[in-house]
Amino acid sequence: MVGPTASLSNLHRADGSASYKCPATGFAVLGAVNGPVELPARRDALKPEEATVEVFVKPGNAVPGVGEKYVEGILRDVLSTVILRREKGLPRRGVVITLAIVGGEATERGDSYLTLLPALLHAAQLALISAAIPLPMTLATTLLGVTRSGEIIRDPSPAVAKAATSLHAISFSSKGHLLMNESLGRFDFDTWELVRQQAATICRGAATPGSDGDAAMGGTDNAHVDGFVRETVEDHLHRDYNWKLESI
Amino acid sequence: MSREAPLSVAERDFILKALQENTRLDGREADQFRPLSISFGEEYGHVKLQLGKTSIIVRISAEVTKPRDDRPFDGLFDISIELTAMGSPGWENGRTSDQEASVSHVLDRVVRHSNALDTESLCIVKGVSCWSIRADIHVIDYDGNLTDAACIAVMTGLQHFRRPDAVVRDGHVIVYKVEDRVPVALNITHKPLSVTFNSFNDGRDIIVDATLKEEQAAEGELVIGINSGGEVCFMSKFSGAPLDPLSIVSKVNVALEKVKALNAQVDKVLQVDLAKRAKLGMADESRAANDR
Repeated sequence: MVGPTASLSNLHRADGSASYKCPATGFAVLGAVNGPVELPARRDALKPEEATVEVFVKPGNAVPGVGEKYVEGILRDVLSTVILRREKGLPRRGVVITLAIVGGEATERGDSYLTLLPALLHAAQLALISAAIPLPMTLATTLLGVTRSGEIIRDPSPAVAKAATSLHAISFSSKGHLLMNESLGRFDFDTWELVRQQAATICRGAATPGSDGDAAMGGTDNAHVDGFVRETVEDHLHRDYNWKLESI
Repeated sequence: MSREAPLSVAERDFILKALQENTRLDGREADQFRPLSISFGEEYGHVKLQLGKTSIIVRISAEVTKPRDDRPFDGLFDISIELTAMGSPGWENGRTSDQEASVSHVLDRVVRHSNALDTESLCIVKGVSCWSIRADIHVIDYDGNLTDAACIAVMTGLQHFRRPDAVVRDGHVIVYKVEDRVPVALNITHKPLSVTFNSFNDGRDIIVDATLKEEQAAEGELVIGINSGGEVCFMSKFSGAPLDPLSIVSKVNVALEKVKALNAQVDKVLQVDLAKRAKLGMADESRAANDR
């Protein structure tokens, strides 16, 4: 399977940006983060002790509708948990995350955004890192589809996702917390448990309790999503600090 | 409300003084565009355009809908531009700005109302079904001259786009998938583009393709929409300092020259891309794994 590709800081104007492309599902998302910024327009909605996270999803080739609003809510909740909103300089400010869907099939009206969630979350997270917004941990997300015969498929293509009996978008933090669990369709608890286990393996590598998770890193065949996020950021840092490395 | 950081007095003076001496910040001539690069995505009608540091993605899409009651023979064509915080921190998400309105007005006039896309050819069954073509503009980096960049990108997208083939058989509309039948190009009647001029120092210095800083220092703006044949389809001089009529006439000639050059460049990249696609298509056909 061809893994996803991502690159950081490719825009000039935004404080931080990232592009993310998943060949399996065909989706490409461009993310930009501005922050911390003043949000004077909605002063009453600001909490005095923490930053406000704003998410805006721009569909690729359709009129924005309720689907975007719904997925913005999910993204805001998940990303709020991984941003250190009480860090110095962040309270009473805003972190504005803008995500544009620049590739892949158009979501039909009334369609769920579940298939896009991993791409959106990864783009948003990498853009946050690029904007140097303080994060205590990273997150890894995967999409699993359960077919009629009970087979669990990783990153199903739009056609497979449409035929699946249930779809699950599951997100784990780098410390192993289950951060997001969005499901669609009919399934029972046993199926969900199987899906969760597989998602944990995909996101965090082989389940070896107690280890710090860097054993399986670098492998291409069983590369996990957490490792992918880590490698992308590592590559970026390596390029950014090239001048420093050269001089040592 | 967030807005673009204003130019400092020193910067403004510097730009104006330099222009008096016929010099621009980036060393260009007064009627020279920044380097333009156009690339295409995997699907038809996905254009990525970069004009200097201004960068835009346009996606064209088509779907079958019902035509409007008062125009049963016409298909629909919409251009949607939404400025998000991605392009510039000065733009707010989900809020229409004046700039968005003005750019979308120019695009509407230059591309849509000049009938660059023949909407009658989009009709499938009179009054029942037609194609609705949609152009979505994503501004991902903003450094001045949004109007021209968006105009070039939309026109390139329209020329690159292929819609699925549709036929009417026994009163039923059949839309063929892209894999089943060769998709059809849109019917483009002419290729108008807009050229934006900015004036400085009481109309003595007029430049094309201003960067963001030059735009902020400008005192007036003139937009000319013109096609390669020299037909002016749009002209606006909304606000700012007055311009001498003679200079407007001479700028129309400059605009014509620019549009010819830009259209030639667009044609070239389009041909290169189509040739590449044709080659890929042939390779796909002749592959052993191809199920015939």
